[in-house]
Parts: sequence; C-alpha cells; structure tokens
Amino acid sequence: MKYYGGCDSGSTYTKCVILDETGKMAADVTLRSRINSVLSAQEALDKAVEQVPDLAGAKDLAYLVGTGYGRNKVPFADENISEISCHAMGVHVADPSVRAIIDIGGQDVKGICVDTDGTVLNFAMNDRCAAGTGRFFEAMARAFEMELPEFSKLSLQAKNVIPITSQCTVFAESEVISLVGEGKPMEEIAAGIELSVAKRCFVMSKKAGATDRITLTGGCAKNDGLKDAIEKVLKLKVIDLPIDPQLMGALGAAEYARQKGSAQ
Amino acid sequence: MKDLKHLYYFEKLLEDANNELVRTSQAQGKKCVATACENVPEPLLNLPGTFSVRLRAPRTGSIEMATYYTTSFLCEYTRALLERAMEGGFNFTDCLIVPDGCSMLNRCAENMELLRTMPKDHFFHEYMEIPMKADDNGLALYKVQCQNHILNPLHEKFGIDISDAAIRRAVTQHNRVCDLIRQIGEYRKEEYPRITGYEFHIITMVTYAAPKDLLIEKLEETLEELKTREPDAKKPYRARVVLVGSEVDDVDVVRLIEDCGAYVCADRFCYGSFPGRDPIGLTDDEDALTQICRQYMYRGQCPRYMNQDKIQERRRYVDRLALEYRADGIIYQQVKFCDPWAYERMVGTQVLREDYHYPVLSIDRPYTTGNSGQLRTRVQAFMESVELKKLQGGVK
Repeated sequence: MKYYGGCDSGSTYTKCVILDETGKMAADVTLRSRINSVLSAQEALDKAVEQVPDLAGAKDLAYLVGTGYGRNKVPFADENISEISCHAMGVHVADPSVRAIIDIGGQDVKGICVDTDGTVLNFAMNDRCAAGTGRFFEAMARAFEMELPEFSKLSLQAKNVIPITSQCTVFAESEVISLVGEGKPMEEIAAGIELSVAKRCFVMSKKAGATDRITLTGGCAKNDGLKDAIEKVLKLKVIDLPIDPQLMGALGAAEYARQKGSAQ
Repeated sequence: MKDLKHLYYFEKLLEDANNELVRTSQAQGKKCVATACENVPEPLLNLPGTFSVRLRAPRTGSIEMATYYTTSFLCEYTRALLERAMEGGFNFTDCLIVPDGCSMLNRCAENMELLRTMPKDHFFHEYMEIPMKADDNGLALYKVQCQNHILNPLHEKFGIDISDAAIRRAVTQHNRVCDLIRQIGEYRKEEYPRITGYEFHIITMVTYAAPKDLLIEKLEETLEELKTREPDAKKPYRARVVLVGSEVDDVDVVRLIEDCGAYVCADRFCYGSFPGRDPIGLTDDEDALTQICRQYMYRGQCPRYMNQDKIQERRRYVDRLALEYRADGIIYQQVKFCDPWAYERMVGTQVLREDYHYPVLSIDRPYTTGNSGQLRTRVQAFMESVELKKLQGGVK
C-alpha cells in the first residue's frame, strides 16, 4: 500500500494528514506551531507517521505536499501548493457539495469559491494585519482571561450585542478592556467581537463571489459563537463538515499528493 | 540558464539612485534632470549636456517623516520619494521636473521644494500640466508645457541647447535604447524563454535610472549574449502573465511573482517597457517637439487620460499584449492609495475578466514588497488556478 502526505504549516498550528492510495485517511495530527516552522513540520510528520504501521518515516511517503505559510520549508516535500488551493480540495474531499469556503486562519481570513472538481474558482484575502483572524480571537480571549473554547461559547448566551468599533487587534483589545471596566456584560461584549469578525468574513465571502453552500475551515471554524454570528450576517446555514475543519488544508494537500503521486 | 554577464552590475546600479553611471555622467559635466512619471517626455530631458533619472527609493524602510508632512492616505511611492529626499538621497540631482500626473506626486514635489531637500544652489523645481484628453487641444497644451517647464528652464539655467537639431539627436539616442530593449524583450515570446521576466525588468529599469549613453554598450553586449543563450530544458514556469498597473520599481515584485511559478511575459506598468520603450518616429515635415508630444499623448496608457477612446484602448492594449506574448492570465496591481490606478484597476479587472475572459488577479500592494507572505500566497493560488484552467483547455 502506498501512502501520501499533506502538511499544513500554519502560523499558529501545524497539521498533517496521511491518505492511503484509496483516499482513506490513515493518520492526522494537529499541534501548536513553534517559532521554527521546519521543526514543527518535522514533528507533525513524525507523529503522523507513527500512526501508520507500514511507514518507518516521512521519507517512505510516496508523495508529500507542503502548504500553509511555511509550505516551502516542509521537510521531504515533493512540492508546495498554496493553502487556498489546498483548502478548496480538502473541502471538496470532505463534502463535494460545498461551493464556498470562509477560511479563518491564524493570521488571515480568506473567502474561496470552489469549482465542482475541487479547484479554485475565485478567492479574496485580507491584507497584512491580524484583524478578524485567529490571532485576534487569542488576544480577545486573553483580555477576558479565558481559554478560547470557553470564550467561543460565551457569546451564545448574549441577549444583546455590544458593537466593537475597531477591527484592529490592538485597538479592539483596549476597547474591550474599557468595556469590561465599565461593567458591561461579558457575553454581550463577546457577541460584539464575534459579530465584528463575522462582518469581515461576510466581506471576504462576497468578494470571492460566494452565494450558497458555504462552510467554514481553519481553527476558528470550531468557534460556535463565530459560526452563529456568520450565519446571522450571511442569512444562511453554514454547512458542517464531517471532518475536523482545521485539517482541511492538510487534507487537500494530501489529496493533491495522492493525485500527483498516482499520476507519476 | 547561465547568468547574464552584466545582470549583477545592473542590479547594483539599481540599489541607489545616485549610482555609478550617474556619478560618471556628472563628473563629465552633465546636469542630472530628475523626474518621476512617464508623462514627462524622456528625450527632452536627455539633450546634449543633460541626462534624466527617474526617481526611485530602493530599500525603503520607514516613511514616517514623509507621512508627517503629507498624510497616510498618499500613495506609498510618493511618500517614499519624499522620505528619501529628506534623507538626502536625491542631493545629487540638479533639478526636478514633475507633471501633475496625480495630485499626490505634486504634493510630494511641493514638500521637497518647501523643505529644500535638494541643496544645490542652482537647483530648481518645475511643475508641468499634462492633458487629460488626447486631442488637438491636449496636444497644444502638452507642447506649451514642455516648452515652458522643460526646455526653457534647461536653457536659461544651464545653457542647454534646446534646438530642434538637439532634440532630434536626443531622440536618436532614445530610440537606440528602445530598440535594444524591444529586441531583448522579444525573447519573452518564446515557449522556453531565454530571459526571465525578472532579468528583463532589471534591464528595463536601468534604462530609466541611469544615463543612456553610458548604458548602450552594455545593453548591446547583453543582446548579443542572449542570441546564443541556451534556455532551460525544463519549462521554468506554470503559466504566463502580463503584469499591468501602476509603478513597479521594486525589484522584488517581479521576482516574487516568478518565484510563484509565473512567467512575466509582458510589462504594462510605470517603469515597464510598454509603452515606455516604444521608439519615437520623427519626420522632417514637422518640428520634433510637436511629434514627441503627440506620440507621448496618444500612446500613453496612464489612467490620467479620461476620454472614452483612451479608457477603452487601455483594455484593448492589455488584450493585444496578452495575445502577442501568449499570456494565460493578467495580474493587475497598484501601489496602495494610488488614486488613478485604484479606479482603473477595479474597472479594468472586471472588464478583462467579463469581456475579454482572462483570469485576472487584482492586488494592491505596498511600495516595497519585500517577502510578503500573503502576496506570495495570493499569486501562487492564482497561478495554480490558471495552470489548471490551462490544462483544461484555457479560458480564452
């Protein structure tokens, strides 16, 4: 049996997926990225390989594709492919009916329209700042003195929304601290934060041309409060994926590896 | 491919506005005429006794001081120029001639003048008006402006010969450079090109940033070298693109695009060869100044020109380039906050997608791109989708 790997070297998390030649997922790993993306990718690959008894090391993979911001630093990779293409392919593998993706990663937000074969039709991406990204949520959770999972559920309890005027991570953090200091309800501030990010996602998805059959990918896709806010601004139900949405980049990379490796 | 003999030398020339050839020319007693826009006819700045330098601010760091004097809404190119001027980077120049190609450039030059950034006693600033419509009235205006703000000041301040014969000699030299660039650029049409888009961009930029007479020999040698240069056996790109839009004088932009698997086969941007390196045809039936102005006005692809003919022509021009150089897609770019190109990029992107059916990547970018990860991701994703479309039979 041949195995194919995809390694998504993200700014906050490194993910790895191994597929067998039939396309079945044989291993997956998600771990916090270290400052050195090579070491993170190496560690993720090692841990993924450990889950497949037929493999002795990453070198045994028939084809390996790197993706994510550190895509050109993935050890032993045969090729690197942008995370935009990989997320589209990953989602296509997970649910071929999906036509658009909002990917909220550690340092950027993307809207991606997907063709029926899993290729990218169009995409839009935010500029070089952390507004509305995973980093933004980490800063907000820190201001609330909470862990991210706890923070993501908090906004669901809100009866009202207190708007956050700033999209800038730095200014938003100080605005949130002021609101907390004024004694405003924490869940309503949290709902305001989720809404501000949802609006940014709305813009990205519209810029990419998304209309229907939308799903969320990236680590922030697990944020229930954000998902709820996005559904409200988009006025439609976001599609839940049958596979961990944080793995979509790595899954798409592994699927590309399988297609390219099989063709060789 | 084997390295081009003079490429490293050309790259070094681009590291500093006051480069080795500029210093050589000034040591020969020539006056350095600085400018900052393709709407200022170059041959008029390269008369006997003068040479032109199109201003750039390579290796720009912080632009805080310039932002203080202007605002953060001015385009980064003009702020970078002002910052560099305040740092003393343009002290070597003898005069500055800028058009009102856009109000931001004007504001940048006005601040240079108010702050007396260029210290030479004889230094002078001239501001030209450029027509917004290409017609007979526009031509009359253009001619008067060139006479009053280029030729007369150069004659009065530096004693430069501005006769018709002198202008014709300048055009001959200009055309030689254009001809060499055109011949070098023709190799970009090849399936397995013997020159990269990055190399061509460097060679073209040098002709804007250094005295032409001192460059011609090296350009001729480069052309000769290319005639026998062996291209790589393996195709080094996934798809071919035309790069369109505003100022690109940062060497890293084309390099970044080509690192992502694209081949920049044609360059329609300020500091590019289309139309900046089109030769100027002169007849004896009319004075040289009129003919130069007419050709600059009608060939110009600057979004400053607002008449419908010119607006439509700008899209047709990109289409023609894409067909001639067999491009698979278009990258439309602008420097952040560039007013004329912001509108042009938005509409042009839509028209080229919808009416001409090209895949188009539309980006606004900082003046200095460096190693922007997000820009790299966008370009790479675009190249991947263009490559797939190409494999599926192409869009057009």
